[in-house]
Amino acid sequence: MTTRRLDKPTVVVMENTTIVETHSLTKRYGSGVLAVDSVDMSVRRGEVYGFLGPNGAGKTTTLRMLLGLIRPTAGTATVAGHAPGSPVGLARIGSLIESPGFYPYLSGRENLRVVADLASVNQKRVDEVLDIVELSSRAGRKFGTYSTGMKQRLGVAAALLKDPDLLILDEPTNGLDPQGMAEMRKLIKDIGQGDRTVLLSSHLLGEVEAICDRVGVISNGHLVTQSTVQELLGEEGVLVRAQPIEQAQDFLTRMFGAEAISRQDGAIHLKTKPENSADINRQLMNAGISVSELRPFERSLEEVFFKLTGEKQGS
Amino acid sequence: MIATIKFEWRKLRFRPALFVSAGLIAALTALVYFFSWYQALHPSTGDRGLVNIATLYPDQFVNQVIGAGAIGGAIAIVLGAIYAGSEFSWGTLKTMFTQRPGRLTVWAGRLVVFSLWMGIMAAVLFVAGAALSVIVALFQGHAISWPAAVDIAKGFGAIWLIFVAEGAIGLGLGVVIRQSAAALGAGLIYLLAVELIAVRFIDSINNGAYKWIGNLFVGQNAAALTQSFTSPAFGRSLAPAISAEHAVLVLAAYGVGLMIIAAGLLRLRDVT
Repeated sequence: MTTRRLDKPTVVVMENTTIVETHSLTKRYGSGVLAVDSVDMSVRRGEVYGFLGPNGAGKTTTLRMLLGLIRPTAGTATVAGHAPGSPVGLARIGSLIESPGFYPYLSGRENLRVVADLASVNQKRVDEVLDIVELSSRAGRKFGTYSTGMKQRLGVAAALLKDPDLLILDEPTNGLDPQGMAEMRKLIKDIGQGDRTVLLSSHLLGEVEAICDRVGVISNGHLVTQSTVQELLGEEGVLVRAQPIEQAQDFLTRMFGAEAISRQDGAIHLKTKPENSADINRQLMNAGISVSELRPFERSLEEVFFKLTGEKQGS
Repeated sequence: MIATIKFEWRKLRFRPALFVSAGLIAALTALVYFFSWYQALHPSTGDRGLVNIATLYPDQFVNQVIGAGAIGGAIAIVLGAIYAGSEFSWGTLKTMFTQRPGRLTVWAGRLVVFSLWMGIMAAVLFVAGAALSVIVALFQGHAISWPAAVDIAKGFGAIWLIFVAEGAIGLGLGVVIRQSAAALGAGLIYLLAVELIAVRFIDSINNGAYKWIGNLFVGQNAAALTQSFTSPAFGRSLAPAISAEHAVLVLAAYGVGLMIIAAGLLRLRDVT
């Protein structure tokens, strides 16, 4: 909560900075399967939040609970200031959950018109959102004849109809070819500009790393971590390969302290700014140590993800 | 509510099933008229082929077309199952439930438009019957006179009620089964087989002591309501076991009851 003081000193407006907040959100299906287990999640206004997790981790179930499509077994959630599924809250939320659900016998434009009717949105908005997703020229074709990419774009257009404060997109690049994925990524990035909050679920790490400000990682129904992408990737550093390696390690320990040094796969990981690389190289050379590799080191989100979820890379 | 009605109507008016069902009911009415006309002009030796040409003239068209209640009811079940079940198959339920209106408002709007659809079906049946009766009268050189407006209104109301009540079976099954194909199959099997066998069995127990239970089945009441529209031109008819008033009440109870059950399921169940 932030407190903003207005002109009159006695008036104080309380403004909630989180748009999605869950406490111990849990879903257990009748079959006994625990799909989501005590998830405490918080999405701040105006950010692009990546909801990461392998297939079957509980991403879609969580998002469906946020939209009121699925009732939680336990826990609470507040979305756009209201309980999930409340008409007032839904009026401020646009969503695309898994594959877009439209009428195959209607054209793309007619599909948006019926959704606009239901959402009590002015029909003029239909052409605006078709322009945003660059589908205007093909809006007259029947939805049943659309390619996967066009269907996804129409789904995003429908989600934008209400000009929502919060956009929930569940795996929007699913089934798209590389070009379609790149276009969708750009579209989401554009949509996420400004005050709008985007909650994006995905199992594609590159996508999340490229688009999102903060991420939450879910695995087996548990929210394993929630932080900024930067925090998740860890501090920046420099990777050094040198001979003799023991002598290089001793030298660098004296330079930076033991806590800044670690050895991994025959290389030294040094917690320091990459701008120091030239100085490190010169000093090692002066000490008679030959340097074979010296480069900025950063962990990829993929590495972090596999470490957090316990999944095996490349499996 | 207005928004959900607009939404449903915009969808329905483009839906191929609307035109197919209207065309089907008009074509079946035409078939019945032309076969009856042929039989009236070429009577066979048995009673089976005996059709009084007077039943095909405009003044009798309400009593004539209302006989389509049975086949129209079967079509209504199919339409109800498709109307409710296809939203699950297309994944459009989640689209509907994530817009502004609540689930019950969406469902109420759907029911209004479905009832309107059944009204369109009844109107097509009546217009087709009236037009065909005029054709027969003109060819036969018979004067054209129409039934009283109140009789037309009663007949229209009766056939609409039958369509809505039987359509509600399809709607309910569509919601329970969450798809169209199995729902319409189950609905037709119920109407064309299960109910007939069950009623025959119940009527046979203890010399008909439980006949009143058989009189609560939807198909029996739909048949009784259609049989209540008759005239001497149609020949002697047996006194119906179920009164028209009883039939109206039971059919209305089926329609309302099934729609409420479906509403409860839609409100409580997860959309997965």
